[in-house]
Amino acid sequence: MRTGRAPGDGHVDPTVRFSGVSKTYPNGIEALRDVSLEIGTGDFVFIVGATGVGKSTLLKLIYREELPTRGTVSVEGRDVTRMPAREIPYLRRRVGVVFQDFRLLPRKTAWENIAFALEVTGTPPPDADRRVTELLQMVGLAARADALPRELSAGEQQRVSIARALVHGPNLLLADEPTGNLDPATSWDIVRLLAGISAGGTTVVVTTHDQTIVDRLRRRVIAIDRGAVVRDDAEGVYAAEG
Amino acid sequence: MPRRARAAARRVRPLGLRYALAEGAQGFVRNGLASVASVVITAVTLVALGGALAVAGALNYVAAALEHQLQVVVYFRSGVTPEEVVVARSRLEQIPGVAGMEYVSPQEALRRLEAQLGPRAKFRDLLEHNPLPASLVVTATGSDRLRAIAAAARDLPGVDEVRDGGLVLERLLAVTRAVRFGGTAAGVLLACVALVVIAGTIRLTVFARRAEIEVMRLVGATAWFIRWPFVVEGAVTGACGACGAAAAVAAGYALLVGGAARALPFVPLPGVGEVALDVVWKLLVWGVVIGVTASLLAVRRYVRV
Repeated sequence: MRTGRAPGDGHVDPTVRFSGVSKTYPNGIEALRDVSLEIGTGDFVFIVGATGVGKSTLLKLIYREELPTRGTVSVEGRDVTRMPAREIPYLRRRVGVVFQDFRLLPRKTAWENIAFALEVTGTPPPDADRRVTELLQMVGLAARADALPRELSAGEQQRVSIARALVHGPNLLLADEPTGNLDPATSWDIVRLLAGISAGGTTVVVTTHDQTIVDRLRRRVIAIDRGAVVRDDAEGVYAAEG
Repeated sequence: MPRRARAAARRVRPLGLRYALAEGAQGFVRNGLASVASVVITAVTLVALGGALAVAGALNYVAAALEHQLQVVVYFRSGVTPEEVVVARSRLEQIPGVAGMEYVSPQEALRRLEAQLGPRAKFRDLLEHNPLPASLVVTATGSDRLRAIAAAARDLPGVDEVRDGGLVLERLLAVTRAVRFGGTAAGVLLACVALVVIAGTIRLTVFARRAEIEVMRLVGATAWFIRWPFVVEGAVTGACGACGAAAAVAAGYALLVGGAARALPFVPLPGVGEVALDVVWKLLVWGVVIGVTASLLAVRRYVRV
């Protein structure tokens, strides 16, 4: 299941491991039921399934927005379910998160939105300015650095949010329906960008219900239905055969 | 270098104290009337506390002045015999806590009264005989002995009346305690109201900034980093309320002292400046404590990491 990237570094822990994880929300909705899975370092994984089957919950458990009702979730070998609250911010700096609605601050430019993520975490690294500019270049928006979110297209806004998610140099990037608000062509551009980031060694987990991009990219696919993993294919497609 | 102006703005600045202060002040200003309401209720709370502090302080001051007069005055009835005075003296000397005593004859008492009232009063011209009784002024070793000495003196032969400074002192201290307790109780009750009002106001800021808070949480800002601007807003609210309350308490005390000085010219009272200084810093501390507590209450649910 692991890609076997970077052998010999002695790092045997998968980036993400779910062991018997169940999550029932206080309102009684059972989002996940006894989920066990591993996502290896450098993997690119699609989590697919209809809306409301527990895909977002799965991601929230990874960046400790939610706690499981049962089971453990470990990230880079650390059990995040038993992580003290004061360590959670440091977990979030190692795990980038991207959303369907981008969550950019409307009064800050593209450049400032990315810089903000560095600014609010204490001492920015000495090369912070260059880093922000390079990330904008990487997502193809160097020319739009001083544009406000409302001056950008949806695809461009999602690129800014991806750059922001990468600003701390995380080993893991989570994207929750990143193409949900995008047209098909733009969706494909964003997925290719995420695949490129994965090729650089970052583990990428993408939830989606966009069949086209999943079938086109042919990467690992974990299908979830009513809170349970129903399929896990190394080079899968969106729908089960037949 | 005007051409570089836009690029120069592209700087990653560490957001520190200045950010927290600026955001906190902005939140305070942005909430407008709600902030005013917060300041007013804080001021009202602190007026109760500060008023009680000032009045209790003044009473304490008077009590401390009285405490230095550790005297029991034992008045003899008219026609007391020299033997009875000698017996009273020797019995009083045996009571524990008596440090010394002085016999004041009726003639001496009249002379002292004349000296106290000045040259205008000519009793000798008005009175056929001296109406003042002979007395023993007993000095105690401590204020706690006054009651016992007075009680013992009442049973002595030839004694008409005993004046006990301890009773006055005790009543004064009881009033001081009551004022302090009442003020504190009112202050605590009002402080609860102030907490709710301030927390509600700061929640408006939390709401206005919720997108920003969400992003900060996601990118790994610490809970305290997110809280600081709200703590500043709470502290500013509390401090403004405290300044208003201190001014009101000082003004009220000035009026009170003015009235007291006319009504009771012999009672020493602490000066207005003295009381104001003492009350200001206490109220500032309390105002900031209330404001900061309210801000932490306000962000508790939203800044859960």
